[in-house]
Amino acid sequence: MTATTPRASRAGIVAAIIRKDFTAFTRDWFFVVISIIGLVFFALIFWLLPNTVDETITIGVTGPGIGEFLEQSTTGSDGIAVKLYSSEDALTTAVEKGDDGVAVGLAFPPDFVESMAARQPTTVSVLVTAEVPGELRDAMDSLVREIAYALAGDTLPVTELSQNEYVLGTDRSGDQVSLREKMRPLMAFVVLVIEMMTLAALIAAEIQQRTVTAIVTTPARVSDFLTAKVIAGTLLAFVQAVILLIAIRSLGANAPLMVTIVLLGALMVTAFALIAGSYGRDFISVVFWSMLFLIPLMIPAFAVLFPGTASSWVKAIPSYGLINAIVGTTSYGDGWAEALPNLAMVAAWTVVAYVIGLSILKRKVEAL
Amino acid sequence: MTTTAIKVNGVSFAYGDTQAVDDISFEVATGETLGFLGPNGAGKSTTIKMLTGLITPDSGSITVLGMPMDTDAIDIQARIGVCFEEKNLYANMTAKENLVFYSRLFGIKGFDAMPLLRRVDLVDRADDRVSSFSKGMRQRLMMARCLVNQPDVLFLDEPTDGLDPVSSQAIRAVIQEESARGAAVLLTTHDMLEADKLSNRVAFINEGKLLVLDTPENLKLEHGQRAVRVRSRAGDQVSETVIPLDEAGAGDRIKDAVGAGGLMTIHTEEATLEDIFIKFAGRALDT
Repeated sequence: MTATTPRASRAGIVAAIIRKDFTAFTRDWFFVVISIIGLVFFALIFWLLPNTVDETITIGVTGPGIGEFLEQSTTGSDGIAVKLYSSEDALTTAVEKGDDGVAVGLAFPPDFVESMAARQPTTVSVLVTAEVPGELRDAMDSLVREIAYALAGDTLPVTELSQNEYVLGTDRSGDQVSLREKMRPLMAFVVLVIEMMTLAALIAAEIQQRTVTAIVTTPARVSDFLTAKVIAGTLLAFVQAVILLIAIRSLGANAPLMVTIVLLGALMVTAFALIAGSYGRDFISVVFWSMLFLIPLMIPAFAVLFPGTASSWVKAIPSYGLINAIVGTTSYGDGWAEALPNLAMVAAWTVVAYVIGLSILKRKVEAL
Repeated sequence: MTTTAIKVNGVSFAYGDTQAVDDISFEVATGETLGFLGPNGAGKSTTIKMLTGLITPDSGSITVLGMPMDTDAIDIQARIGVCFEEKNLYANMTAKENLVFYSRLFGIKGFDAMPLLRRVDLVDRADDRVSSFSKGMRQRLMMARCLVNQPDVLFLDEPTDGLDPVSSQAIRAVIQEESARGAAVLLTTHDMLEADKLSNRVAFINEGKLLVLDTPENLKLEHGQRAVRVRSRAGDQVSETVIPLDEAGAGDRIKDAVGAGGLMTIHTEEATLEDIFIKFAGRALDT
């Protein structure tokens, strides 16, 4: 009989399991291909997206004398361009087809100036397509009214008020973000969640094939297995997210902060992978469970693409702080001070997800 | 010198309301192979789970290699080898990689997988992925894996179940070699013939209770029926006489049957472990 048996250290056991997990990952062509294609595809898409923001609204105008008046009034002002048309029909066609970038058309009747001078009622047509938001339609109504006042030689009915504007929180007004910039957090987050599925599949395979049972009848404990999964999953997600961030030049001047944000994100998705992997019985059910987490987690990332669409409940989603921190750091140059509340929120959610994920996986392993 | 390798004392375990193992006690000595026999759901696998530290008994005590399981599970696990019924190998890794991975869990430095692979006749497939292996090859690799740490105690759960005769024979040979080396072996199986061949003693378990534990020979002698079966022909009629050897006057009856003329065949019969199991459990193993 063996007198003395060599004994692996806890770190040695965890390292052995991590090494084995990376071997298993690299041997699964599906996940390797998905990961590589994902990285290349996302980087390519990013660089193909426009990096400029054109916020100018072109207004098409028809009506004798009005166009020239408007042109003079808006000369030198940012945001409004005036395009003159010879007839209402030509203007209607231009608005319908979006020719010359015309978003809105104002068709003044031929006797508009005379009618205003004579204080006679008249009608101005505001032409918009269905895509034009209500705010812009209201603005056009106000513009027509002001033109009418100006041409009639009247002053405004009340003395103009002085106004003070107080912006609560970070004022993003004027900091327009291009579509490419908006895609940045989405790209980084998508890479993280793809790795969430990979890890979930690896965990599900360990449970379903009962390889974990073989591990825990050696000197390896269940806690060693769980630690190895957390480290392997976080590393997989983190490394790939960093590669993508480098490829889309998103580390920038604040690289340590970005790396911290992505590391927290990788830790968070790994926690969700523990839950998805515990319940997954095969590839399809792993995808199902992963999607169950993936879709809600993606909502804040999509909300960045469509500002103003997010409801307040979106802030309660665990990934909200993560997306907010990425947007702030990459698009607006936020530093540690601005990112800290978001990071704290992510950290809190990550702890909650780990408590749930680890306890579920531990129970699963012990029940095998 | 033999010592006690496994000592189980009054151990019970229940899954909810189902009593899987009910107050069982037994011992296995070093170099001894104990056949643990019972039908599906009898409590064999639950017993192995408790003996390998996977689950904790509700009551009773387990000592392996002189160490109590409830306090020294990790030290025990460093010195045992477990071969599961499920072929829980890493299919995307090669045979060699599977063994090397396990050697790392035991902290073995400079592990060489080839001698073990040679023992189970897989040396030519060392660098092939397990996904390409047949059932028999996987089982042989499982056997090799549980020997990675040169264990003092082996737990083998249905190691030859569903295998071809060549693979079964290879695994039986390894079990005998390990037993000869001094390892204690706890072998669960459905196969009574295998248990008879490999085990020094056998234990019958049914519905969580240990029914009997003894050597196969003793069980057959004490609980089985020995007989002589004589077939003879008289004209066109073939008759068969079964003479129990334990009955009085058995010798005279055999002499009469043989001397009556028309003798065709004489067979001696002894009870099988299967017969004895049915006698104790009131059911066959495969029911």
